[in-house]
Amino acid sequence: MSAEQAGYVPERRRSVRKEAAGLGRRLAPLEVVICCGSGGVGKTTVSAALGMAIAAAEDKRVLVLTVDPARRLATALGIKGIGAEPVRIPKARLRRAGITIAGDLEAAMLDMKQAWDRMIERYSPDRLTAQRILRNPLYQRITDSFVGSHEYAAMEALYELHDAGEYDCIVVDTPPSRNALDFLEAPSRLTDYVGSRLLSLLSGGPSRFGFRAMNFAAAPFLRLADRLLGAEVLAEVSDFVQQLQLLYDGIQGRARSVSRLLRSSRTGFVVVTTLEQGPFDEAEFFCTKLREFKMPLRAVVVNRVLPDVFRDAGGVAAATTLVEDPKVAAWLAGELHLRVSADAARFIGKTFLSRNTLAHREARQLAKLGRLGEVPIVRMPLFSEEVSELEGLVRIAKTL
Amino acid sequence: MSSPAGTPQRSWSPSTAVRRAIAGERIELATLLERRVVFVAGKGGTGRSTMTAALALLGARAGKRVLAIDVEAKGDLAAALGSPPAGFAPRVVQHDLSVLELRTDESFQEYLNIYFKVPRVTRLTPLARVFDFIATGVPGPRDMLVVGKIAYEERRKEAGSRSPVWDLILVDCAAGGQVESHLGAAKAMLTLVRGGLIRVQVEWIDALIRDSRRTTVVLCALPEEMPVIEAIELHERLRMGSGVAVDVCLLNRAVVEPVTAAHRHLMTALIDPEHAEVVAQHLGGSPLPLDAGLELQAHLYDTTARYLRQLRNKLPMPVVPVPLIVDRTGLTTTRAVADALSNRLG
Repeated sequence: MSAEQAGYVPERRRSVRKEAAGLGRRLAPLEVVICCGSGGVGKTTVSAALGMAIAAAEDKRVLVLTVDPARRLATALGIKGIGAEPVRIPKARLRRAGITIAGDLEAAMLDMKQAWDRMIERYSPDRLTAQRILRNPLYQRITDSFVGSHEYAAMEALYELHDAGEYDCIVVDTPPSRNALDFLEAPSRLTDYVGSRLLSLLSGGPSRFGFRAMNFAAAPFLRLADRLLGAEVLAEVSDFVQQLQLLYDGIQGRARSVSRLLRSSRTGFVVVTTLEQGPFDEAEFFCTKLREFKMPLRAVVVNRVLPDVFRDAGGVAAATTLVEDPKVAAWLAGELHLRVSADAARFIGKTFLSRNTLAHREARQLAKLGRLGEVPIVRMPLFSEEVSELEGLVRIAKTL
Repeated sequence: MSSPAGTPQRSWSPSTAVRRAIAGERIELATLLERRVVFVAGKGGTGRSTMTAALALLGARAGKRVLAIDVEAKGDLAAALGSPPAGFAPRVVQHDLSVLELRTDESFQEYLNIYFKVPRVTRLTPLARVFDFIATGVPGPRDMLVVGKIAYEERRKEAGSRSPVWDLILVDCAAGGQVESHLGAAKAMLTLVRGGLIRVQVEWIDALIRDSRRTTVVLCALPEEMPVIEAIELHERLRMGSGVAVDVCLLNRAVVEPVTAAHRHLMTALIDPEHAEVVAQHLGGSPLPLDAGLELQAHLYDTTARYLRQLRNKLPMPVVPVPLIVDRTGLTTTRAVADALSNRLG
């Protein structure tokens, strides 16, 4: 079942829908498109489809930058795998799948570890500092679990790619973060951390007695930390922080440039969500924040929407009769000349009604998107994104 | 709508293999509720909070004194139990059932207070922030706050008695792989801390986690690709990492009622143009949209069966489908899920 077959669009949303139909064309002038939303809403698939739609709309060189080793996405794109090196999606293969692209479509996967290492190397005042940081046992752990670290690495890589100017448009599939905001706040948060006064307290350096050059405020903490963790651990932390502070200027400068790029008119954000409560609330919150940060929101893609056929009034009436009328099976048997069990009739009715309940809940959620103001909203029908072949992805690209 | 590879577009009736995939093996609910600490883990959106709450209701129903702990403190667990957001102190939700929410600041204070006899201070926030940073880099401390609190509750005794305050503690873990760091925290701390006060506590916390009679994990998944892959990978990492036991995997939002040949026959007859008008008149509306409902049901049933098979191939423990419940949120849903669980787990 396609969206067109099921295509009931509420009157007041129809103009918006039409506007959204050419999302690929609308996004094509941008140099950076950032897809964000909660984990599990189909961000990676939507990103790939967007890239395809943009390359189809205009003669542009488009790169889809994904963050996870989505094997299925590679299969869906008709390539063997996605690595750090961009891979071109063959035009002929795309044409066979039903889409002709004017431009070029490539895909690459973001290597977080590599992005961090390169960043450390770039901002270190000398090779020795870089090596000391890269070898610190805490470093790997910090880059792995530091709030916003993946987001930061993603943005760093994006900035570099954009700066190199090899692509006309880069579509970024953002890392799944607990809080989508981590992505927006990553640059400033990293500078905050690296430059924080609290950390300078820690970088006093170890001595035979644990810590020397202690500030009054830090003293009770260090004594406590000493007791909690032992002096060795604290010495490692201290060394790491000391080294990291040497990178402060470089990181701060870059964070500013990244922020500027995110706010510029060359960039657009696309928020991807489903209608489930959790992801939906987060998407709404995220849209509000984008506005607050003056970052341009270009579209909201609502994924896995139940088709409107499940809200059909005639269907509801028929289903209700099948479930509630005790004589319906007998009547049908007589009329259709068929053996009809009451159970089968009830089952058919019940199946429809339970989806009807969900469809109404979804419609109420969708209506809430009106609060976001003039933003194109694209609805993608349920399961259309369960793509295992290029044809599936092409179909989504066309929906967009 | 495309059909997944290997499943025909319009299977008339699910095969025996599919039915068997849905039925599967069982785990005794009583066995699960006999544990002392149950960690409920899974990707975000897999219904972890609802599952934790449902197990809590079942525990209380079985006459246990239950504590449900929300690690993320987003209020989801309390809401699933029909309660307003709880605090750091256990809040009684119903007879024999309390809920509490962990927060870093308060956990940190209490941790210091309980384990190091550090008096509670009013302005600990800057200190907690530094701690936060270090805790990010050093494996252990932050997770130790969580595990330490859980272990503390597990050990708590009634005043003037030797009987524990809680029979069963259910932990709604934070999304993603965080359960690993919680469970692995004790082990990691043991390699870091070679002596002193903390070593002793860490040792008994580690012992608690490794004791499969007392501690277990319940994995949550959905019949979708990523949640299934993540559940399988999480299990593998838990097995290699902390050595904690995993009792059961719950496949939430499973569609378990098959569309049979009889349903299909009837549907085809209902929408047959020959009778369409008279049928629509009698039913009060055209039954045409109902075909979409049946199609979707069949598709979801096949999807459920496919992912159940995948999970059962890869996981050594029972995988139990928990039917999709189309209901309001909150306690109503939780009760329905609890009933379904108790049916399925037997």
